[in-house]
Order: sequence, then C-alpha cells, then structure tokens
Amino acid sequence: MTDMLRIAEEAAAQATEQAKFSLVSIDLNTIVFTLINTLIIVLLYFFFLHKPVCKILDERAKTVNKDMDDAQKAKEEAAAVKADYEQRLETSKEEAARIVADATKKAQAREEEIISAANEEAASMKQRAEESIQREKKRAVNEIKEEISDMVVMAASKVAEKEINAQDNEKIIDSVLSQIGKEN
Amino acid sequence: MTDLIKPMAEFSVEGPLKSISFDIGSYNVVISESIVVQWIVMLILGIVFFILGRNLKVRSTSRRQMAAEYLVNFFNNMVRDTMGEKYRKYTPYIGGLFCFSILSSLMGLFGFRCPTSDLSVIAAWGITTFVLTLRNKLKTGGIKGYLKGFIEPMPFMLPFNIIGDIANPVSQTLRHFANILAGSVIGGLIYFALGQVANGLASIGIPAICSLYFDLFSAFIQAYIFCTLTMAYVSMAECGED
Repeated sequence: MTDMLRIAEEAAAQATEQAKFSLVSIDLNTIVFTLINTLIIVLLYFFFLHKPVCKILDERAKTVNKDMDDAQKAKEEAAAVKADYEQRLETSKEEAARIVADATKKAQAREEEIISAANEEAASMKQRAEESIQREKKRAVNEIKEEISDMVVMAASKVAEKEINAQDNEKIIDSVLSQIGKEN
Repeated sequence: MTDLIKPMAEFSVEGPLKSISFDIGSYNVVISESIVVQWIVMLILGIVFFILGRNLKVRSTSRRQMAAEYLVNFFNNMVRDTMGEKYRKYTPYIGGLFCFSILSSLMGLFGFRCPTSDLSVIAAWGITTFVLTLRNKLKTGGIKGYLKGFIEPMPFMLPFNIIGDIANPVSQTLRHFANILAGSVIGGLIYFALGQVANGLASIGIPAICSLYFDLFSAFIQAYIFCTLTMAYVSMAECGED
C-alpha cells in the first residue's frame, strides 16, 4: 500500500516536472501562438491607435497649411488694398492740387475780369459824368447867354429907349457874345 | 561538516508552465504560461490603445490625446529615422512589437513569468524579422539578386553570407531572451538571497532598486534594441538593382 502511494507520489512529481518546459527550449506551439498574438497586437495598434492618430495628424497638418495659405492670401490682399488706397490717395492729392490750381487760376481770371469791368465801368461813368458836365456846362452857358442877352436887350432898350426889332437885336447880341466867348 | 556547506534552501529557475493542453485530432496542442500571459498583455494593450485612440480632435489639448500622439509620433519617427520614408508601412509592426515586448517584460513586475524570458516567444519575433528581411530582399532584387547577394563580394564568401543571414535574427533573438531571463534570474536570486537574511526583512526595499534596472530599464532597452535591429536588418536587406 505504501509502495503504491510512493509510486503515485513519484508519478505526480514527474507529472509536475513534465508540466514545465525546460528553461531554454523552443516549442512550436508557443511560436505559432506568439505569431498569432503579435499579429493581433499589431492589428490592435494599427486600427485603434495608429490609424486614427495619423488621420488626426494629417488633418491637423492640412488645417495648419490651409490657415497659413489663408493668412498669406489675406496678407497679399491687404497689401493689394493698401497699394490701391495709396494710389487713390496719390490720385486724389493730385486732383486736389489740380482743383486748387484751377480755382486759383479761375479766381485770378475772375479778379482780373472784375477789375477790368470795374475799370471800364469807372471809365464809362467818368465819361458819362464828363459828358453830362459838358452838357450842363453848355446848358448853363446857353442859359447865361440867354439871360445875359435878355439883360443886354433890356439894358440896351433902356439905353436906346427905343424898340429894335428882334432880328437886329439878335445879331448884335451874338456878336457881343462871341466876343465874350473868345475872351473867356 | 557536510551540513555546513549544505544550502539552507534551494533556488532554481524553471521554464514556463504548460498551462493548457488539449488534442486536436492526433496533434497535442500545449499552451504555455507565456501564451497565457501574452493574452493578458493583449487585453491590456487592446484597452490602452482603444482608450488612447478614441475621440481624437484636430484641435485638442487633452492629455490622453497628447499621449496617443506622442506614442504614434515616437514610432513614426523611429521608423522614419532608421528605415527611411519608403518603409513607413512597417510602423504598425514596429509599434505593436515594441509595445508587446515592453509590456511582456514588465509583466514580471506583477508576479507573472515574463513571456519575453521564453525563447520560443522571442524566436517567433526573430523568425518574423528573418521573413521580413527575406521578403524585402526578394522584393528589391528578385530571386536572382537575392542569390547573387550570397556570392558577393567574392564567391568564397558564400558560407559566411549564409551564416550572416541566419545569425542576425538568431543573435537578436538570443540577446532579447537572455537579457530578460538573466534579469529575472538575478532578480530572483537577489530576493532569494536577501530572504535568507534577517528572517526575510532584508528583502524589503533593496530588490526594488535592482528591479528598477533589471525589469524597467532592461525591458525598455531590450524592446528598443530588438525593434531597432529589426528595422536595420529589414531596411539593409535592400538588394542592389544591378
């Protein structure tokens, strides 16, 4: 009985011993299973981590590139707008200068016109005044002539105490007056 | 006298457990502990990748997305810098392999047996590297170019070239496997040795410092080296057009 127990124990011990690989051994089963497991790990890594992360990195790179392109475009546009405005500003400055010059020229022309018109006006007024003076003078002289002639007639008639006919009177008076006019 | 040199306890390092065993027809399928731990790693990585990779925004400041982008950019840059722009399609493999390797090595911290300290696991990755290298050679040079590559620069170099082709994946496999295994062994030894001192109180704290190097640093550096070597072997496998 004890012998049998001993044999069984030995067999169990042997079984335990057999249930282990030796320290340095190559087992085909382990190799095959390891290959399968490695393939699964690689697939897990690829589908769960590598693919999504690479996708995101690509997208980010694309976004960054796009943003940079957009920024570059915006910069170029801004530069173009700036150049445009500068040109417009330059043009408007020239325009303004031109307008001012035109206005000055016009004003000068107008000034001259006004001055010449005023001069003309003044000249014509002077002329009119002179004419009217001449006219008045003539009229006054004529009036004086008549008055004087009347007075002379009156005085003469009083002196001569006699009526002289108007025709003779006038002859006499004219001669007198022309003498007076020459003296004047 | 013999009692004095007899160890108080024994320390042994054993291979991975045969966790599950079943038959398909006449073929006996044995699933080792390494594969079971790999499933846990796959579950964790699946959840982490899923959480990191969902709800991404083009304009985002969330830490989760920053972490996801950092990770993906890290692998993208690594592949681009080592292999060049035209090998970008290898990025998922390198990224997945790196995460798988580093987390497998770190599983030791949680009390599991690291799948990376199992030669069969690393051998599978080494075989993958070999196949990818072969594929790239055939793709760039054709069968003629590939065969011609063995007698270059001189025909007597043939045996060395054949050895070189096989040695690359083998050396990279053994490096990764042995480093992680040695780390586990040294870590175990330190625990064991300190456990014998002062009723095991000495094993508090001190192993953590060693673990920092043998588990954390080594896990990262071995994953990095393995991935870098894979990328280098695959991209260097380009056969000349002539």
